[in-house]
Amino acid sequence: MQAAGRVLDAGLKLLDRQLIDSQGMLAGKVDDLELTPSQDDPQRLYVTAILAGPGALAGRLGGRLGHLLERTANRLRDSPQDRPARVPFGVVKQLNSAVDLWVAKEELETDRLEQWARQTIIAKLPGAGDAPQ
Amino acid sequence: MKNLVQVALGVLTAIGGFVDIGDLVASTATGARFGLALAWVLAVGTIGIIIFAEMAGRVAAISGRPVFDLVRERLGAGMGLANLLASFFITLLTLAAEIGGVALAIELATSVNYLLWVPLVAIVIWVVVWRLPFETMDNTFGLVGLALVVFLLAIWRLHPDWHGLAHSALHPTVPQGEGHPTYWYFAIALLGSAMSPYEVFFFSSGAVEQRWTRQDLIINRTNVLIGFPLGALLALALMFTAAIVLQPQGVDPTHLSQTVLPVSLAFGKLGLALAIIGIFACTFGAALETCLSCGYTVAQYFGWQWGKFVKPTQAPRFHVVVLLSLLAGTLLVLTTIDPIQLTEYSIVLAAAALPLTYLPVLLVANDRDYMGDKANSGVSNLLASLYLVLLLVVSVATIPLLIVTKAGG
Amino acid sequence: MRRAMTLLLLLAVSGCTGPVRSFGVYESKAANTARKTASAVATAELAVQVATRDRTFGRTAAQTLAEAARDAGDTQGIFDAIQPPDRRSDQLRSQLDDLLQPAVSTLEDLRTAARRGDVESMARIAAPLEKLAGELQDFDEAHR
Repeated sequence: MQAAGRVLDAGLKLLDRQLIDSQGMLAGKVDDLELTPSQDDPQRLYVTAILAGPGALAGRLGGRLGHLLERTANRLRDSPQDRPARVPFGVVKQLNSAVDLWVAKEELETDRLEQWARQTIIAKLPGAGDAPQ
Repeated sequence: MKNLVQVALGVLTAIGGFVDIGDLVASTATGARFGLALAWVLAVGTIGIIIFAEMAGRVAAISGRPVFDLVRERLGAGMGLANLLASFFITLLTLAAEIGGVALAIELATSVNYLLWVPLVAIVIWVVVWRLPFETMDNTFGLVGLALVVFLLAIWRLHPDWHGLAHSALHPTVPQGEGHPTYWYFAIALLGSAMSPYEVFFFSSGAVEQRWTRQDLIINRTNVLIGFPLGALLALALMFTAAIVLQPQGVDPTHLSQTVLPVSLAFGKLGLALAIIGIFACTFGAALETCLSCGYTVAQYFGWQWGKFVKPTQAPRFHVVVLLSLLAGTLLVLTTIDPIQLTEYSIVLAAAALPLTYLPVLLVANDRDYMGDKANSGVSNLLASLYLVLLLVVSVATIPLLIVTKAGG
Repeated sequence: MRRAMTLLLLLAVSGCTGPVRSFGVYESKAANTARKTASAVATAELAVQVATRDRTFGRTAAQTLAEAARDAGDTQGIFDAIQPPDRRSDQLRSQLDDLLQPAVSTLEDLRTAARRGDVESMARIAAPLEKLAGELQDFDEAHR
């Protein structure tokens, strides 16, 4: 992964943007950003990953609402991890009005709640896999 | 570029789909208590929804994204969440009201208690949402909803005093026995029913469901500029018939059975059948719309895959929210709360939340990043901004008036 | 169950189950009661009109009249639960009760007739309704 080094206003151009995967499917929003200090100059921070999911959003929102969000999300995930789902910045293909990714959403950590919902509820209903007309 | 039949279909669907239980209750109650003195509010509300629906449709066609999807980007995650909570809650209330409305329509035809119909109605709603393709669903109930035109025809059949009606509409006065605060309370309720938030969510998301592109901008304009005013005409017809038959008799309608009396008088059994079918179709259609809108708002805030244009397995969280919302709405109706009263609360609270819904539409429609050359013109912005000022005033006045008039009692 | 809940809700909204402080307030509640009852009576009149002219379905007429009867009964129940604060109010109450009682019982009779599909009796039973509606409306206007 090369250090892309593009400088942009993360607040306006990155946060809360839609993630779109390689198939054109919606894969969540940029809920938070993981910042890592650069090797050479610790004052400089690189965005190394996009954080997505209720855990990440909760962190940003803070307060009781954020807490509630986080607890609900953690309870619904089968993984015991407490950290929010991470989308490494290397899979980001393009930044335009949305954030286009190189990979399909199934390969992302952020898809866990989606998979849980699919397995426990939706897949059990008749016609769930039928293509829309 | 879709052909003429499709355009006509879109317009007819827009007309038949305009009225929901909120419009039914608000227009009829207003007509019975105030005659046509509040007809101007319907005009104001219709123009408002035309302006903003056109914008929302344009946003969807150009950017491929519905408005609520972009709310979070524009307002930030915190404000966006507050917006989501308010919008979701009100849409859920409206969903419950619509379910109640469907059950009441069946009760009116069968005389079997509406509560017994509620679970069946909920199940059918879910099956339709789950199985029926979007356009089929939209068109079917929109077209059958056209049966409400019987109210329009009934006006002539009832031989009204045209001069008196025209005078009352063009020179609005508060009738004897009604107070000014009540007049304005009903004005707010009527506005809330005409500009209901879920209509924007559904129209905007629906445009994406139907894969509108630049070429469909004309369809967008036609549906909105022809379909909506004609749909509002049906709501106006409800007000008219109530003003002609119910007001002189001092009937204050609190049941659907009173709403349809004028049609019975005018056309007998055939007219009554059409009226009940029309009410059933428009409330059922609105139940589908509000149910999906509950899913749309939540999914679009969190960035989940949503929509009927993908397989359910590809949008599981969206469908879970839709299902849970339907369940919650159904349970709310089953608490035996009066569905008409529930409707009144839903439209009044909707009126209070109108700025929340419409401000983002204006913001996004002006964003050149998404809209390119199709961003708002100066004229659109001026009109829309004026409306936003109005909606803010309405929003602030709602709760005080609700308290002062004891919910219009 | 539903009647009880509606009654409870209406009571909560009207904000008053016990004594009312002044004649003025009692008077306006009485006027409101008269107005609501007049609405139910007028609804029943219209329903009978369309039923006897065969312009409605039997079940729809039954539903309409059942609702009108229920509304009138509930309204009377709420009003009777309010304690009159003074002598004048007491007199007002008996005045209004003289109108409410026949209204409620006529509407209940109509509901029964409609349920049985007995259209012939409906016109006869509904005969006093027009006068009653007028009297209730006069009461409302006089005490508003």
